[in-house]
Amino acid sequence: MIEVSNLYHSYNKDGKFAVKDVSFEVKEGEIFGFLGPSGAGKSTTQNILTGLLQLQQGNVIVAGYDVKAISNKMFNKIGMSFEQSNVYSKMSAKENLDFYRKLFDVKTREPEELLELVGLGDKANVRAGEFSKGMKHRLTFARSMINNPLLWFLDEPTTGLDPAIASEIKDIIKAENKKGVTVFLTTHNMYIADDLCDRVAFIVDAEIKLIDSPKNLKLQYGDKLVEIEYIKDGETLKETLSTIQEDDLKHLQDIIGKYEVQTMHTKEATLEEIFIKVTGRGLA
Amino acid sequence: MKLWHSFIKELKLSSRGFYFYIELVMAIILLVVVLLVIPAEFVSKDTEYLYFDLPEEMINEYRKDILEEDLDGKAEFIKIKSGKDLFPVEFYETDKKKYYFVEDETAAIQLAETERPLVSAVMSLDDASSIHYKYYLQGYESERLKNLYLVIHNRDLNLLKEEMDNQVVRSLSTGYSELTDRENVLPVLLTFNGSLMGLFIIAAYIFLDKQEGIIKAYAVTASSVWQYLMSKVGIILVTSTLASFIIVIPVMGLQPNYPLMLLLLITSGFFASSLGLVVASFYKNMMQAFSAVYLLMIVMILPNIAYFISSWEPIWIKVIPTYPLIQGFKETILVNGDTSYTLMVSLGFLVVGLLLFLIANKRYKKTLAV
Ligand SMILES: Nc1ncnc2c1ncn2[C@@H]1O[C@H](COP(=O)(O)OP(=O)(O)OP(=O)(O)O)[C@@H](O)[C@H]1O
Ligand SMILES: [Mg+2]
Repeated sequence: MIEVSNLYHSYNKDGKFAVKDVSFEVKEGEIFGFLGPSGAGKSTTQNILTGLLQLQQGNVIVAGYDVKAISNKMFNKIGMSFEQSNVYSKMSAKENLDFYRKLFDVKTREPEELLELVGLGDKANVRAGEFSKGMKHRLTFARSMINNPLLWFLDEPTTGLDPAIASEIKDIIKAENKKGVTVFLTTHNMYIADDLCDRVAFIVDAEIKLIDSPKNLKLQYGDKLVEIEYIKDGETLKETLSTIQEDDLKHLQDIIGKYEVQTMHTKEATLEEIFIKVTGRGLA
Repeated sequence: MKLWHSFIKELKLSSRGFYFYIELVMAIILLVVVLLVIPAEFVSKDTEYLYFDLPEEMINEYRKDILEEDLDGKAEFIKIKSGKDLFPVEFYETDKKKYYFVEDETAAIQLAETERPLVSAVMSLDDASSIHYKYYLQGYESERLKNLYLVIHNRDLNLLKEEMDNQVVRSLSTGYSELTDRENVLPVLLTFNGSLMGLFIIAAYIFLDKQEGIIKAYAVTASSVWQYLMSKVGIILVTSTLASFIIVIPVMGLQPNYPLMLLLLITSGFFASSLGLVVASFYKNMMQAFSAVYLLMIVMILPNIAYFISSWEPIWIKVIPTYPLIQGFKETILVNGDTSYTLMVSLGFLVVGLLLFLIANKRYKKTLAV
């Protein structure tokens, strides 16, 4: 669905790259996560893929189209939800979608149905200008599905949404993916990525550090951990220890032998912890 | 089809905004001003202040001559105010001129200074009983006029008349009509409210969209950027045509060549809005673009001055697009206007407009994500 090789991009063409030697491939039907801290180059990459930014260097094939000579037809197959919602504030939710659907040559979905799906069913005739930030974001999200895209670009689809709605959005993405839609998901929310993605790419400082499935990453990097809480000299202490590393194991045995253990459970490393381990950087 | 939908959407959007109405409201205000404030003729009748330092019989001769043409056949005795002074005068009015007979030379001089009439003159007799004429000029009269004053009294008037009668005057074009002063301001109003406002308003529309990030959303549809831009141009053309007709129809009735005027409105509106698109593509918001837009407007206004002051017309002003535009509009409202001139101007605006539109299209494709 997407093939990117040796992609570079410099906004001011000054040798400072927002994207540097990025190569990856997204297979048909998968959910591909593009993860990285703020300013890593995620949106830049996505904007090049969708023709919003001009390709400077590298090769990019999207949905069978070479992005060098982008064709309008390509967008019949593509949906894109923006990081910053962008809808006509002077038009109602329904008018926004009604107009937008006319810009495609393929069969489109019913605005009412989409609004219902994202929980805006009763707001169809309200002007988008009166919407809250989260509502605008959902409208932008709904709009990106209107042309039944085969390839769906989602830039931070859940930021700014309350957890309940975020989880609904997640379910929608899953459901669409089940129908065969390929998803390119950009986020710095590791829980979403962990939950949704078949494969993830870690991008930091304009470069991809690794690409793999969350499951493999956990097997590879995520040692089994034990979280233990115990009382020492009348104080409650908490430690996370590896079950593989020698000294951690020894320390664990010490604690169990000497002190009063309050709680103890094993846990898997989160994607976030793996990210920090691999890139040496946090996600905030 | 997509262009049509975009156009309808733009119409919906703009009718909910404020810019759409600016032009129309401006048009109505201008119409009211044109009809109520601007007189059909700016220049009132030529005025002459005359002091006759002559025997009463001779003055009576003059009175008799003038009274023959006087509108009501009798003299009025009034006082005119000049600075702090009041001068008693004898007033005659013919259908071409106003004559004021003043009582002394000081009055003639002072009135020449304060009222700036066409003529202020003193006539007197010298010892040889021939009439002396003294003219008080304003200082800006041409050499030719001064020479004429010199020659007119030193030659036998009958001889001059004979000479003039013997000159053959052949009209090169007949049916030539002139516009009244009120009609004469229309080409300027058409140029500014009609065509040039488009430049400003389309930029405003673009900045509204930039603010909402809407161009990006448009860019990821199977529709082209040029359709997006063209739908905006379409709105501008509709509003400026409406605004123009609001002004022209009540003032001019059926006289203008409306199809030709429409053509020029459309082509020049296309040019102005394309220019607005190009300008707007370089800035993020109206605040930043303001100085550029303002400067452009000022330059575009210069030919205006040349239009009203025909003696000021430097060569370079003719390359400012509003110069041929004003003239082009004038030809559409003249009874026997020069159609081919307007056609040429329209063609020019179409070509340059197209060029600018192509540049705009390229610019917007490049700057979508910005
Ligand atoms: N229009 C622009 N002009 C110049 N530099 C830009 C522009 N947009 C982004 N950048 C720079 O490019 C780099 C990558 O930005 P990008 O928006 O791709 O990051 P991101 O990974 O999407 O971050 P976020 O998670 O905050 O959305 C940043 O250093 C940013 O400052
Ligand atoms: Mg981003």
